Amino acid sequence: MATSVKRRRKEQTEYFFDYSLLFVVLFLLGFGLIMIYSASSYCATEDFGDPAHYLKKQLVASILGLIAMIFVANIPYHFWKMFYGVGYIVAAILICLVKTPLGVKSHGATRWIGIPGTGFNLQPAEVAKICVILFLSVMVCKLGKKIKTWGGFFFMVLSPLPIAGLIYVLTKNLSSALIIMGIAVLMVFVASPDYKKFIVMGTAVVAIGSIAVYLMATGVITSFRSDRITAWLNPESDAQDKGFQTLQALYAIGSGGVWGKGLGQSMQKLSFIPESQNDMIFSIICEELGLFGAIAIMLMFILLIWRMTVIANNAPDLFGAMLVVGVIGHIAIQAVLNVAVVTNTIPNTGISLPFISYGGSSVIFLLIEIGLVLSVAKRIQLKEM
Amino acid sequence: MNKHAHRKKITITFFLFVLMFLVVLVRLVYLMVWRSDYYSQKATQLHERERNIKAARGRILDRNGTVLADNKTVCTVSVIYNQIEEPETVIEMLSRELELSREFVEKRVKKYSSMERIKSNVEKETGDRIREYDMAGVKVDEDYKRYYPYDTLASKVLGFTGGDNQGILGLEVKYEEYLKGVPGQILTMTDAKGVEVEREGERRLEPIAGKDLYISLDRNIQAYSEQLARQAMATKEADGVSIIAMNPQNGEIYAMVNVPEFNLNDPFLLPEGIETEGLTEQQKQDVLNGIWRNGCINDTYEPGSTFKIITAAAGLEEGVVTPSSSFSCPGFIIVDDRKIRCHKTTGHGAEDFVHATMNSCNPVFITVGLRLGVDKYYQYFEQLGLKQKTGIDLPGEAATIMHKKENMGNVELATVSFGQSFQITPIQLLTTAASIINGGNRITPHFGVKVVDSGDGTETILEYPVQTGIVSAETSALMREILEKVVSEGGGKNGQVEGYRIGGKTATSQTLPRGSGKYISSFVGFAPADDPQIIAIAIIRHPKGVYYGGQIAAPVIRQLFENILPYLGIKEYNQE
Repeated sequence: MATSVKRRRKEQTEYFFDYSLLFVVLFLLGFGLIMIYSASSYCATEDFGDPAHYLKKQLVASILGLIAMIFVANIPYHFWKMFYGVGYIVAAILICLVKTPLGVKSHGATRWIGIPGTGFNLQPAEVAKICVILFLSVMVCKLGKKIKTWGGFFFMVLSPLPIAGLIYVLTKNLSSALIIMGIAVLMVFVASPDYKKFIVMGTAVVAIGSIAVYLMATGVITSFRSDRITAWLNPESDAQDKGFQTLQALYAIGSGGVWGKGLGQSMQKLSFIPESQNDMIFSIICEELGLFGAIAIMLMFILLIWRMTVIANNAPDLFGAMLVVGVIGHIAIQAVLNVAVVTNTIPNTGISLPFISYGGSSVIFLLIEIGLVLSVAKRIQLKEM
Repeated sequence: MNKHAHRKKITITFFLFVLMFLVVLVRLVYLMVWRSDYYSQKATQLHERERNIKAARGRILDRNGTVLADNKTVCTVSVIYNQIEEPETVIEMLSRELELSREFVEKRVKKYSSMERIKSNVEKETGDRIREYDMAGVKVDEDYKRYYPYDTLASKVLGFTGGDNQGILGLEVKYEEYLKGVPGQILTMTDAKGVEVEREGERRLEPIAGKDLYISLDRNIQAYSEQLARQAMATKEADGVSIIAMNPQNGEIYAMVNVPEFNLNDPFLLPEGIETEGLTEQQKQDVLNGIWRNGCINDTYEPGSTFKIITAAAGLEEGVVTPSSSFSCPGFIIVDDRKIRCHKTTGHGAEDFVHATMNSCNPVFITVGLRLGVDKYYQYFEQLGLKQKTGIDLPGEAATIMHKKENMGNVELATVSFGQSFQITPIQLLTTAASIINGGNRITPHFGVKVVDSGDGTETILEYPVQTGIVSAETSALMREILEKVVSEGGGKNGQVEGYRIGGKTATSQTLPRGSGKYISSFVGFAPADDPQIIAIAIIRHPKGVYYGGQIAAPVIRQLFENILPYLGIKEYNQE
């Protein structure tokens, strides 16, 4: 008894809080704000007469996000388990709302819904990502050993498909749909003890993808995406249209060199790269801070993923581990794909850089996810580490 | 067990992502290290707006250092679309100051471009006035415009330049590479809309001025020759008068006149008296091309009797005739079935070769030509350089129009012998005559003497080929003697200059078609006859009234020599 009481007390005093994770997140957030100001101030002055226009909006979102993060971090994560079904349905409904008068159109696609009375817009795709992570984490626990079977596998991969499909069909947001599917595949990969089928399927996907790209590039298949492939393989062939953004980003990255032009010294942000504070912000980082700055940012992301990997590995239960794995998937996939897009390693598709790109919904829900991770971390029994 | 399995997978996941980061990192290193220069350059091209600064064009100076072609500061007025605040005021001001139509200015002011040129070569005072309005978006850049201090002087030799200061005619074209220099640039960084980015400042690439060209032309001789030519043209109501004065020893040209000359500072002005109404642009251009034409070089003519210098030299060189060879002229000669008349229809009677030359007796020269035969004559024609161009440093030299050797019979040979049935340029005739009397060295007529870099003073001496021995020194000496006799006692009497030994030959040739009553009168003269320092030709096209070269062209050269021989420091023979 005595030992048991003593042990409980010890648990209370030595509960785990991952300060390094928090530090990395705060660093990325702060760095992101600086870069958003740097990238957007010129155009913001022109368009709104206020160089800090985007900075202010992002700052408000970041503060809201941090409050939400602290809130979520202090709620035991098991609390959320019961909302997996509700979350799934809410995500689906929110996505559908873009087709109602609440939908906000921008850049030819309706991806936002206006929250009445606040002037803020919400991107349902960001809500959907966290909802899918919660849903699948619960499903992994419910499936138990069935996860090994083909049935379990297909359930895991197909159950988020309606959400991804809605995002793709209703908001024309292919990248968010792909990220959700990527998170699902990653979670089932981690949950399932099997290797063989993932290796086989991974190889198959890579092979089919390569063949498709080859056929599109040679003009055998022409789809509405094939000009994107052409623009990817040779951005200079279509410098004025499809290859424009990519080429401008390459100019920015290339002209940065090893040490960069210095913070604030980007030329490409002077409306050469349209809305450089958004998806293409990494190219401005490269231009201003050089290869040195780019590597530093990538190291920060690796550190972030590393901290979350440690938390996932030490999570008190499978549900907690899967939640963290989902968040790892979300952040890592977006970060890698964003850099890959900006450097024209893969075809251009709109993916924002987590914590750094401008976007309120994105940063708020990312911080909520970090809150979840911190909440999982809190339950880690230090003795077992 | 299950728990450990997923822990392993989580670790694998981490390393998978690290691997993916490494892949994009490799790509980043490639872009930012290997491709950095390429993309930096591309980006700079995208960001910089260039404004050219014209280089000062090299001047053209005569043999005494008198500037014949200079630069004056003018302004280029442009507008920058993005910086214009009050377009209407700008349009109004520019159209008023630049005397341009409102529509013309409006179209340019309202055109969306980074920089639009409204007018170049604006007078400096006008440019200064526009600058004083200090209107946003209006740029006044100073540059240079070609300026010719003597307006019409040697217009067809010097030529002029176009709006971008590029040579269009004459020496301005020929020496373009020396004269033009390297334009500079003002590079300004701009954003995507073309607005200047102030923090980046301006980058200037200074222009490199063109090099000065020193030519052999003498402004005074040229001016005096032009005066004589204008007088001759007026008194003889001729269509045109050409005069060339050259140093027969090295081919340096002192003067080249083709009246009427045109104003180099306004070369596109059509002369008064030409109906410009109803002319198409092409027709106007044709008129201008006619005005700009340098007849001494661009046009060929039948030289007539002056060509007897060549026939005589060939005959003497080949030995088919000597000065004392005797001939008889009955007033005509029969060649094959053709009867060719002498200009003196009653005949010159018995005469030796020297007197035949003094009399310009056609039958004698036909006889000399026939003695040489087609093959030999043709050989001399080529040996003396008549088949090639002279190589003068002016553009558009016309080639000789001559019978093909295989088509040449005795009749053709006979007519060529006294300078008909073929055509050469005046410069060709003068150069060949000069080469015969200078000791037999075929010189290249030229203007360009040296090119001087006004910056560091380095000089490039221009050199020209000389072909020695086209006739022997003896033949050359004989020719000088005979041609001196032509002036002192023969048909060239009007070319005599008091106190000087002058050699020369006259010519009067009827222009085609024969019987039109139109003539070209000419005279080639040189002095001093024993050691020629100057040779000159005067050609009067289509004179009215008296048309004999000896009577109207020879006096032109006489007047020229009377004035320029003392000027050139050539002493009278009795003062030596």
